[in-house]
Amino acid sequence: MSVTYLEAIREAQTYLLREDERVFIYGQDIAGKFGGAFKATKGLAEQFPGRVLNTPISEDAMVGTAIGAAMEGMRPIVEMQFADFSSIALNQILNNAGTQYWRTQTPCPITVRLPSGGTKGSGPFHSQSMEGIYSHYPGLVVLTPATVEDAYTMLIDAVAIDDPVIYCEHKYLYYHLKANALPKDKLPIGKARVVRPGRDLSIVTNSAMVHEALAVAQQFSADGIEIEVVDLRSVKPLDTDTVLASVARTGRLLCVGEAFPWGGVTAEVIARVASEGFHLLDAAPARINAKDTPIPYHPNLWSEHRPNAKTIAAKARQVLAE
Amino acid sequence: MPQLGESMAEATIVAIKVQPGDKVSADQEIIEVETDKAVMGVTTPCAGEISKIEAEVKGTYAVGTVLGYIEASEADAGRFQKRAPQPSKDDVAKEVPGREEESTNLVRTENGSGSHFQVDEAGLPPVAAGSHFQVDQAGVLPVPAGTKGAGYSSPRVRARMAELQLTQADLAGIAGSGNAGRVTIKDLENFLGTIERQPAEKPSAIRTGVADAMRRSWTRPLATVGLSLSLDPVLEDRKRRDPKPGPALYALRALALALAEQPNAAARLIGGRVIRSESIDLGVAVEAQDGIMVPVIRKADQTSLADLTSRYAELVDLARRRRLTADMTSGGIASISNFGSFGLDWGTPIPLPDQTLLLGLGVGKKVPFWDEKKGAFVPRTEAQMTLSFDHRSLDGGGAGRLLKRIVELLGEPTKL
Repeated sequence: MSVTYLEAIREAQTYLLREDERVFIYGQDIAGKFGGAFKATKGLAEQFPGRVLNTPISEDAMVGTAIGAAMEGMRPIVEMQFADFSSIALNQILNNAGTQYWRTQTPCPITVRLPSGGTKGSGPFHSQSMEGIYSHYPGLVVLTPATVEDAYTMLIDAVAIDDPVIYCEHKYLYYHLKANALPKDKLPIGKARVVRPGRDLSIVTNSAMVHEALAVAQQFSADGIEIEVVDLRSVKPLDTDTVLASVARTGRLLCVGEAFPWGGVTAEVIARVASEGFHLLDAAPARINAKDTPIPYHPNLWSEHRPNAKTIAAKARQVLAE
Repeated sequence: MPQLGESMAEATIVAIKVQPGDKVSADQEIIEVETDKAVMGVTTPCAGEISKIEAEVKGTYAVGTVLGYIEASEADAGRFQKRAPQPSKDDVAKEVPGREEESTNLVRTENGSGSHFQVDEAGLPPVAAGSHFQVDQAGVLPVPAGTKGAGYSSPRVRARMAELQLTQADLAGIAGSGNAGRVTIKDLENFLGTIERQPAEKPSAIRTGVADAMRRSWTRPLATVGLSLSLDPVLEDRKRRDPKPGPALYALRALALALAEQPNAAARLIGGRVIRSESIDLGVAVEAQDGIMVPVIRKADQTSLADLTSRYAELVDLARRRRLTADMTSGGIASISNFGSFGLDWGTPIPLPDQTLLLGLGVGKKVPFWDEKKGAFVPRTEAQMTLSFDHRSLDGGGAGRLLKRIVELLGEPTKL
């Protein structure tokens, strides 16, 4: 038996609905036969009647309703059709959910699922990575699972967390990524994972870019260069200790992110390493992100717009040669 | 403003010998400029008529600044153009509106990329594209593509050096494997690994102190001059004295008197200031176990040779017993090293880091000396005397005058 990344998300929701009666799922076209834009809730409405609910096409209303339910003791999961459209709910997420506990001492345990990142031919409105925006604001937890196992355990953890959680699931991994079975154990939220140990260069990345980085590390290994790959898993909180420990081993840092280059997760990682681990660096820290333009529709352009194994390898060589 | 010397960055106009309307020939000197090195002439790139002078006398202009314009015939300008970089058509069009339509055969010799009077003898040779070192002809500083060559230490290398109290001098033995030969952290760790396998012991405090002082001193441009002198008058005079001063003390006293006459020789240059001392306090290098100590004799110019001798004996005794206090070894303005006591003829000792001068005295040896009066070789006891100095503060001439004066004073030791 094998489980895809998408199935792991569905399984996690099944588990949550079964184990915790406070959980319900709220989203556009997620109930009934359709089962959501990516079928992440397929079959769940029949299995858990009255707990998988269709909403109007208003992200603002969806999150606002979820916040109200959370205040009354529920544990709602909100499914956005695409991460890109969560911007319509920014006011509810940032101003209301993010600040609620700090204003009222009433926790706001909502989980917002964002189908994120690019796939071929999805264009500017269906490809974006939003973790940078949400990480900027206090009061939110932002998760970016890169593996089937993390997709499963981190969603279950997200619902258990008393703060609002932005759960960024990568669409490119939905069907591509498979595991043999659902995981038995887990790494806690807030811990990064060293996916591949190395000694020459640390690539710190998250979400789908972990797999691009691993491909590059594999390729360099043939030439005797060992790249360490760190999967951040959770971008907020950010596991600075694991990143610094990795840079301490290698002396060189390359951050890779699929999001746009201005600010964001890669910039934050470099800022932390530069200020807390300057003395560990044997070369200027580098980063590679998507290009600073809207995401192109054409598959060939899209492939060149995001960082890929080829451009990451070129950047890695640059850092190693310094 | 042409590049009139390799290190020239700017120059000041001393005189302008032409005015607008003057006819000039090619290579005629029309402007005199002064750099930090010399007064030089700016010459015309070609024959023509001065149309405008933009520079002003006493003004200082960077290399590449337009000083003025010459109107030249097409033919004359053409000869110049062969030597000057060609402006692109677009630049010319922008710079000289209506140039295409002009019917006159006069063209201005400036080009669109900020050309200046080109002086090909003194200017930089044109560099072909693809040449090894690219030099920008317009006088604009080239921006380095990367600054991480052999001289670069990464934050990590610097932190590791600080942790282990290593200095750049300690790393001299590492051939860097990084970009342009820079020492990477791995090179440093490999080197430390090699060192780790070799027998080692902790250096004494005095060794560490000397090492640090010498390393700091060596950051300066140091030079040494030397002269031979006859020790016979000193040795003769010594017989009549009690207590008997060593030759180094005679030299010390002579140095003190010479410095009283030429106090600038011991001045230090710090920042933009010449720092002089009010008191001629001189150090004497004393070899103690595992290192050198330099106790200081205060006001050596106002202390008789007899008093110097007893004071010196006290200090040497304290030094050998490690009883010198910090104030006994600080504040000297120059020092003396009697390397002759090791049987050495000559050396280039390094001045202390806070001093400009170090006087060295070699071993006395009997040598044949040509006596003009007798017309024959006569035996004499000769020693070599050296003066090492910080070349920022003092030149060979100044050092030579001081050394000659010391030798002169040692020729009449009864007066010391």
